[in-house]
Amino acid sequence: MEELILELKKEIIEVLNLEGMTPDDIDNDAPMFGDEGLALDSIDALELIVLLEKNYGIKLANAAAGKEVFKSVRTMAEYVSKNRTK
Amino acid sequence: MDIFIQSAAQISIQNPLCDDWFENPIAHTEGYNRSIEPDYKPFINPMAARRMGKLIKRAIATSISAKQSAGLEQVDAIITGTGLGCIENTEKFLSAMVNEGEQFLQPTYFMQSTHNTISSQIALNQKCNGYNCTYSHRGTSFESGLSDALQQMLLGRINNALVGGHDEMTPDYYNMLGKIGYWKQGELSEQILRQSSSKGSFAGETSVALIVGTNKTEHALCKLRDVDLLYKPSETALQDAVQRMLQQNNLQPSDIDALMLGLSGDCEYDAIYTNFANAFGKNTPIAWYKHIFGESFTAPAFGVYAAATCLAKESVPSHLLHNQKNEVKSPRNILLYNHFQNIDHSLILLSKC
Repeated sequence: MEELILELKKEIIEVLNLEGMTPDDIDNDAPMFGDEGLALDSIDALELIVLLEKNYGIKLANAAAGKEVFKSVRTMAEYVSKNRTK
Repeated sequence: MDIFIQSAAQISIQNPLCDDWFENPIAHTEGYNRSIEPDYKPFINPMAARRMGKLIKRAIATSISAKQSAGLEQVDAIITGTGLGCIENTEKFLSAMVNEGEQFLQPTYFMQSTHNTISSQIALNQKCNGYNCTYSHRGTSFESGLSDALQQMLLGRINNALVGGHDEMTPDYYNMLGKIGYWKQGELSEQILRQSSSKGSFAGETSVALIVGTNKTEHALCKLRDVDLLYKPSETALQDAVQRMLQQNNLQPSDIDALMLGLSGDCEYDAIYTNFANAFGKNTPIAWYKHIFGESFTAPAFGVYAAATCLAKESVPSHLLHNQKNEVKSPRNILLYNHFQNIDHSLILLSKC
């Protein structure tokens, strides 16, 4: 799981162009959206949905499920681990 | 009604956000040059900047810089001219479409692949709810925007406007244009461009922001007297337009202290400028600017910026002059003429404040 978390952090930094940020700067359990943690927004959510589909073959059609999946990098990694097709 | 260019800011292949080029222009010897990027942190929040392409960053930085120089909190209108819009992100978006079979398209590149995203992003950044428009008319994109601003002020609809000319040159687009003869090959120099003995010019990138307004502010650069756009004019029609512009502004040809022409080193297109200058009057000093800033769809924005700077600094320095070596001191009126492939032509008249 730790390996997947690190991989996801690297991909998030790249796809969201989080300049000057390293995987160590992202807390595994910190909220990804909202005022705390990474403070991502709805466009970032779209980018993350594309990332899941492109890199892991996961189609995230349910918006409510997305809220849970993108809670933190850890929840995202757990979801990827269970549902990945590539 | 008098209309003034109250301030200007540029990011280009010269030192950015300053007038260093006026005293010490950087001489480029390569055919392909990217703009010199300033530090964007004073202008753009890093979290917002991460989603912006180079051109958007440049547009916002020049816009904020010009607004600050003019001492304005807000503008009535944001008007942008761009030949290509954010072509770098357009390329990324289209490449992804091709490579990924039209799947997995990233929204950020999509949003920035439209031309009017430049004006929109400036407006969002500056929280400006006023008139917002983008002109994309190849080589007269910037002049179209400037004409719009001028007319709206003359009609009393707005009192000021942020007018920009923004274009980037990606490696792929540079190579494509090179294949159809846009660029000179080999090492370049001002002398080679001045001789204009072969086809092609050299590439630059444009990011110019002007604040144009009806108030004569303390540091206003010059008056914007007139803008005229012509489509495929004959030589006679062009000269008639010049005469008309001068008459409407109560000027004689002898009142023009310099012509600022879009000479670029391309033998075919420079010949049109030479004919224009000969018809105007052989003794009028000819200035140029594309040997310093390079060619792009919105390069004429540099012409306006350079001429406005010359009027404000009361000198056309020798390195800007094409047909003589002696500086033009205390110019009062400068007539700008540019054409895009002898199709779209523009005339702009600037005068000292």
